[in-house]
Amino acid sequence: MERLMDKQFIISVMSEDRPGIIADITGAIYELNGDLADLNQSVLFGYLTMILVATFDNHITPENILARVTKIQSPTQLDVIVRKMDTPLDTSQSGLPEKTYIVTAQGKNKSGLVHGISSFCYLHNINILDLATTRTDDRYTMILQLDLSKVDSITVVREDLQEYGKESGLHVVMQHHQLFKVTNEINF
Amino acid sequence: MLRSDQILATVEMIQKENLDVRTVTMGINLLDCRGNSVAETCRKIQDRIQEKAGKFVETCDFVSRKLGIPVVNKRISITPIAFVGAGFDQDGFVELARALDQAASDVCVDILGGFSAQVEKGMTETDRQYIMSLPTALSVTDKICASINVGSSQKGINMDALTMLGQSVKDIAEATRDQNGFGAAKFVVFCNQPGDNPFMAGAIHGVEEADTVLNIGVSGPGVIARSLERLISSRSDSLGLDEIAEEIKQTTFRVTRCGELVGRQVSEILGIEFGVVDLSLAPTPTIGDSVGEILQILGVDAIGAPGSTAILAMLNDAVKKGGIFASKTVGGLSGAFIPVMEDALLAEAVGSGALCLEKLEAMTCVCSVGLDMIPIPGSVDADTISAIIADEMALGMVNNKTTAARIIPVPGKEVGDTVSFGGLFGASPIMEVRNVGKSGRFIGWGGRIPAPVHSFKN
Repeated sequence: MERLMDKQFIISVMSEDRPGIIADITGAIYELNGDLADLNQSVLFGYLTMILVATFDNHITPENILARVTKIQSPTQLDVIVRKMDTPLDTSQSGLPEKTYIVTAQGKNKSGLVHGISSFCYLHNINILDLATTRTDDRYTMILQLDLSKVDSITVVREDLQEYGKESGLHVVMQHHQLFKVTNEINF
Repeated sequence: MLRSDQILATVEMIQKENLDVRTVTMGINLLDCRGNSVAETCRKIQDRIQEKAGKFVETCDFVSRKLGIPVVNKRISITPIAFVGAGFDQDGFVELARALDQAASDVCVDILGGFSAQVEKGMTETDRQYIMSLPTALSVTDKICASINVGSSQKGINMDALTMLGQSVKDIAEATRDQNGFGAAKFVVFCNQPGDNPFMAGAIHGVEEADTVLNIGVSGPGVIARSLERLISSRSDSLGLDEIAEEIKQTTFRVTRCGELVGRQVSEILGIEFGVVDLSLAPTPTIGDSVGEILQILGVDAIGAPGSTAILAMLNDAVKKGGIFASKTVGGLSGAFIPVMEDALLAEAVGSGALCLEKLEAMTCVCSVGLDMIPIPGSVDADTISAIIADEMALGMVNNKTTAARIIPVPGKEVGDTVSFGGLFGASPIMEVRNVGKSGRFIGWGGRIPAPVHSFKN
């Protein structure tokens, strides 16, 4: 059902993880007659963070939503941010951009590694779509899913990345995301 | 995003384990390039190759850079030349070879295969002229590879042709004496030769194919070897051969998929039909890129020891299964290769006496290619060489599989010597041939070995 005159909100929630958080939050949205467009959540070391997009009737304000969430009897503290979208977001699903690449960077753990590589991406007009890091003993591994659509020359990025790897003592490799898809998924 | 461990495993495969797309081979039909004269035919051939393959190498390089997978070789295969040059004489065929060599250089491919004939049922006069042209053709050209199909499960084995070919192999080696007989490394004798194999030296563009096609040869013995080592060291409990076979199959799946990805993208850009992915464990002399090493990891201390054939049978089969699931169209040879000179550990086993010709022949019953890149003493007589090849042809004919022989009689060298061709063609000690000079009466018959009874399926 189209809700043309309605308001769209982004709601972000952070809390120590426990059963029932999603039920509580989506329950509040349901009681306010809201429509949930999509939701993303992840848990890191026992802490949940959730971000969702929902549409409500025109009269609903961020304060209404916050007030309703505050009424939740939660054994854990819920930190909630609500932002109204003045321009509605495009919630149609589109796949990954064609120029999506995966960069893996491995090396000895030291401070500033994630900052370093994310700054590299920023300087080269590369958007980070996803990022995962793991640490074993003193080895640090970063895996980044990158959008290179706005990059002028991918060859230059490759060369600069090699340089960056040498300077920071990291073994850096960049490959197109299709390679990982086809070698790990059944559908080609 | 995919799971981190899967991403890291794929990166390892390419970076450390020598996974690569071994060859992208463009097959080109030349049947309609037959002109009124040799010169006209040569011109048409060169124009055709330039037209179809002008942008071939740069497209492969582009896709390789984009995806981050090395594409090691770009090659061309053509319609067997004996069809294209129907009616020409041996000098004409030498001219065609020169023209093909030039055309290959012009488009910057490193090898062009298909200087070939198909004589499994009988030889035409053209076929005879072609055979006679081989020693010269292979000595005056760099990039041309030749092959001949002398037998098939359908038609039997053409022993008239085989009688000639033992001498041809010696003549080819002699004509390239200053290169240690390297010409013979560019000539393969087949039984049941496939028309879409992308690997050299036996690649041809079969007459059953369309005008142009792209076939991919993926390789990666190193990938298989490393994944098996990881499996074995990670398991403290006992591991069965069926689990090992499963690991090979799954690793092969991933390797094949890389090739499929490259192939589909290159063929899309060039507007050429995508043919087959041939997943063959094709070793190179590089350390870590050996099929022999896989055999050792799988349990024989010396390659050629009892068990080598069984292990190879399992390996070959697991490779085929993984490859078949991974690709829309698997074809070519698809399996494990055991080319002695191109595999550092096989060559070492020959040198230590662990691996002999008879054991290799047994192993060819269960793997993909045949007696490949075998250096023998230059003194071995032509009839013995014909008979060695005949044995290999019989294996292929009766077992309904492709077999081949690429025997290199190295002029002036005997057992105890070593020969080296360098680069991808590798090096090896000379292999002993037992019972030399005892097969003359058999070869003397000529005629044909009839097709086996199980071929009569009409």
